[in-house]
Amino acid sequence: MIDLEFLINTLSLGSLYALLALGLVLVYGILKLVNFAYGEYIMIGGYGLYFSATVLHLPWWATMLFAVLAAVVTSYLTELAAFRPVRNKSANALIVTSFAVSIFLQNAVLILVSPRARAVQLPAVFSRTVSIAGATTPVRNLIIIGTTVVVLVALSVLMKRTVLGMAMRAAAEKFTTTRLMGVPANLVISAAFIISGLLAGIASIFWIGRSASVDPVTGSAPLLIAFIATVMGGMHSPTGAVVGGFVYGLLFNILSITLPAGMISYRDAFMFVIVVLFLLFRPEGIIKGGYTEERVG
Amino acid sequence: MSLLSRFMTFSRQHATLPLLMVPVIIAGIAINAFGSSLLLNVYTYFCVSLIMVLGLQMFMGNSGILNWTHIGFVGVGAYAAGILSTAPAVKHMGVPNMFPALVSLHMPVIPAILVGGLVAALLAAIIGYPLMRLSDFVGVITLFATLIVFHVIMTQWDNVTNGPRTFFGVQEFTTLWVALAGGLIAMVVAYWFRESGLGLRLRASRDDRYAAMSVGIDVVRVRYYSFVTSALMAGLAGGVWAHFITSFSPKAFYISEMFLLLSMIVIGGSGSISGAVAGTTVVTIARELLRQVEGTINNAHVLSFEVFGLTEAVMAVLMILVLIWRPGGVVGGQELRWPLFKRKEPGATKEAEDAA
Amino acid sequence: MPMLTVENLMASYGVVRALHGISLEVNEGELVALLGVNGAGKSTTLKSITGVLRPVKGTITFLGKEITNRTPEFIVKQGISLVPEGRDIFGQLTVEENLRLGAFVSYERDRYKADLKEIFELFPILEERFTQAGGLLSGGEQQMLAIARAMMAHPKLLMLDEPSLGLSPTMTDQIFVLIKRLREMGSTILLVEQNAERALEIVERAYLLGNGEVEFAGTAEDLKHKVDIASVYFGGDDAQKAGVTL
Repeated sequence: MIDLEFLINTLSLGSLYALLALGLVLVYGILKLVNFAYGEYIMIGGYGLYFSATVLHLPWWATMLFAVLAAVVTSYLTELAAFRPVRNKSANALIVTSFAVSIFLQNAVLILVSPRARAVQLPAVFSRTVSIAGATTPVRNLIIIGTTVVVLVALSVLMKRTVLGMAMRAAAEKFTTTRLMGVPANLVISAAFIISGLLAGIASIFWIGRSASVDPVTGSAPLLIAFIATVMGGMHSPTGAVVGGFVYGLLFNILSITLPAGMISYRDAFMFVIVVLFLLFRPEGIIKGGYTEERVG
Repeated sequence: MSLLSRFMTFSRQHATLPLLMVPVIIAGIAINAFGSSLLLNVYTYFCVSLIMVLGLQMFMGNSGILNWTHIGFVGVGAYAAGILSTAPAVKHMGVPNMFPALVSLHMPVIPAILVGGLVAALLAAIIGYPLMRLSDFVGVITLFATLIVFHVIMTQWDNVTNGPRTFFGVQEFTTLWVALAGGLIAMVVAYWFRESGLGLRLRASRDDRYAAMSVGIDVVRVRYYSFVTSALMAGLAGGVWAHFITSFSPKAFYISEMFLLLSMIVIGGSGSISGAVAGTTVVTIARELLRQVEGTINNAHVLSFEVFGLTEAVMAVLMILVLIWRPGGVVGGQELRWPLFKRKEPGATKEAEDAA
Repeated sequence: MPMLTVENLMASYGVVRALHGISLEVNEGELVALLGVNGAGKSTTLKSITGVLRPVKGTITFLGKEITNRTPEFIVKQGISLVPEGRDIFGQLTVEENLRLGAFVSYERDRYKADLKEIFELFPILEERFTQAGGLLSGGEQQMLAIARAMMAHPKLLMLDEPSLGLSPTMTDQIFVLIKRLREMGSTILLVEQNAERALEIVERAYLLGNGEVEFAGTAEDLKHKVDIASVYFGGDDAQKAGVTL
C-alpha cells in the first residue's frame, strides 16, 4: 500500500499540517499562548480569497496575496487589541482571551457576511492531475509540497540569519533577558503574530482550496489539526511543530486506509486517543527541549 | 466563649452562602408570583446554568486548569438521564436505531438524573486518569481535544444519541422550584468543596504547584478527585437541563455552549463561588437583553439581512474587557463576606491576579 | 551630578515588601559595590533600576533623566546594561548570536567588528567557542560571555549581579581581575556581591544593604573597618546581622 501515490499524498497533507502547526507554535514559543483564534486567521484568509475574487475581481495570484495579507492583518490586529492588554495577566486569561477573540471573529463574519458557506474558486491548474512515475496526483499536492519547502527554508533563514530571528529565538528561551538586551518586547511579539498570520494565510489558500468553500466556522478544523500536531511534535520548538505536522499527516492517511468503512467517521476520535496515549508516555512530544516554560510578565 | 458569640463567629465565617442564596431565592419567589412566562423560563434556565457553572468552578476555579470537557460531561448526563427516564415507546419512535437494551430501560426521573451524574463521573474517572497527568499547556489542548472526541461520538453514535438529529420526548420535570433547589444544593456543595481539605489542597496546587508538592500534596491525585467530582456535578446538571429543555441534539454540548459557561465563570471570577454566581447572573441577564435587541432588529426589518451572532460577538468583547480591566473577574478571587463593604484583606490582590 | 541616583526606592513582591526606601548614587567612572546577605534587597534594587520590576515608590534618575517605571528596553537604550544573576545567557543561541544580541541597541557594522576583536583579547576563550551554543559553555565561560554580551552595548553604566556566584575560586579570581580591569579602562560599574571581602578589595565605595534598607554607606576602607570590628568584637553572628559574609 506504500506506493508513490500514498507518499505524495502524505507529504502534501503533512506539509499543510506542518504549516498550520508552525504558525501556532511560533506564538506559543514566545508568549506561551495557546492561540484559539489561530483558526480564525485561516477563516479570514478564506474570506479574503472569496472577497477579492468575487467583489474586487482580482486575478488569481492577487487574490492569494490578498488572502495572505488579510490573515496577517487580522493576526496583528488581534495582538494589538486583545493580547497585548492581557499579556501580563495569568496564562488562563490569555487562553480565554484567544477563545473570546475566536468567538468574536466567527460571529463578526456571521453578522457581516452570512452564516452560509461561500464558494471559492481556485485556478484550474490546482485541480488538474499529473502522473509522475506512474502515480497520479493533483497538481495541488505538488504545489503544497513546493510552497512548504520554500516557506520552511525562508523561515529558517529568518530565524538563523537575521537579528530579528535571533531576538525571537532568544525571547522564546528567556523573554526578560531578551528585553535586557534592548530588544523591545512588542517587536518580537508582533513579529511572531505577523509570521503566524502569514503561515495561516498561506495555509488557508490550500485549506480552502481543498473544500472550495468558506464559512464562519471553517477555522475550527485546521485549528484542531494544528493543536494536535503541535502537542504531538512538541510545543517547545518549531522543529517539533513541523515533525508533528508530518507525523499527523501520515497517521491520518494510515487511518483512512486501514479503518473499516463503518468506523471512518470516528477517525478524528481515534486520532486523538492515539495522541493522548502517546502523550502519556512522552508528555513533551516527539521533539524535546528548546523553548522553556517561562511566562511573559 | 459563649454560645451566642460562637454562633456569631460561625455565621460571620460562613456568611457567603446566605448572602448568595437569599437574593436568588427572593428573586425566584418574586418571579414565580409576578413574572411573565418568559421571565419564568429565563430564571429556570439561570438556575440550571448555575449548577453547570458551579460544577465548572469546583474544578477549574480551584485548580486553575481550563476544563473544556465540562460541557461534554453535561451532555453525557443529559443523554444518560434522558434515555433512562423516557418511556420505551417514545424512544422506539424517536430514536429508531437505539440498542434494544437501552430502549427497554426505564426509571423515574430523579433516579435517572442521579444515574446520569454517575455515568458522567465514571467517564471522568476513566479519562481523567491520563488527562490529569499532562502538564498545563498540553493539558489545555488535550482537554479541548477530548471535548471534540465527545462531540464526534455524540454525533456519530446513533444507536444511543440519535446521531446529529434531535433527541426528543424527554418528559418535563424541571420546574422553577426543581431548578432552584438544584441551584441551591450546587451552591452548598461547591462552597463546601472549596473550603474542604481537598479544595484547599487543590487551590494550593493552583497557586504554586511545586510548593504544594513540597508540602506533600499529591497534585495529580488531588486534581483527579476534583475532576471526577466536578464531572458528577456536570452530569447531574445535564440531567436537570434535559428535563427542562425536553429535546436536544449534540450541538447543545459543544463549543458555543462551553463559551457561554466560560463567559459566566470568567466575567464573575472563577476563584470563588460568589464570582460564579455573579457571573451567571450577569451573563444570563446580558444575554437575554442582547437577544431582545437582536430580535427587535430582525423583526423591524431595518436591515436587509438577519442579524445572527450579535449576542455572542458582544459577549466575547465583554469577556475580553473584563479580562483586561479585572482579570480576577467582577467579584475577584475572594468570597463575599459580611459586612459586604470592608477594606480588602491583604493578599486579595495576589489571588485576584491568579484566578482567571 | 551623579550618573545614577536612586531615591527612596520601595518595591514589593505581592504583599511582601522587599525594599523599604533605598537611596544610592553612582558617579561617573566609579566602581561601587552593593553588599548584603541573601534577601537583603540587592537583586531587587538592580531589577528596579533595569525596569524588570516596577517599584511601588521612589525615583531613579540616570544622566539627569528619570527612568522610573520605564521598560527594560528603554533603559538599556539610555546606557545601562545588566549582567544578570546566574549568567542568564541564551543557551540555545551560539556565542556569536549572544554577542550580536548584546549589540542590539548600538549596532554599527564596523564598530561591531572592532568590538568583537576587543572582546576576543579580553576573553580568548570566546573566540574559540564562537560558533558553539551558549549552553555548552562552562559556568565561568558563561559568566565571561554574559559580561562580554553586556559590554557589546557600550553601556555608560555596567551593573553586575553576583558575578562570582557558583564559580570556582580560580574563576572568581579571574572575574574580579576582569572587573578591576574594566574599571581601569574607564567603565562605570555597579557591582552586587555577597562576597563582601573580595568586593571590598576592588571597589571605591560600597553600600551595605540589610532587610531592604541601606544599613551603611561609605568608602571601601570604612566598610572594611566596620566589617573587621563586627567580626572581631561581636563574633560572626553580628557580622551576619550587619549583612556581611566573610
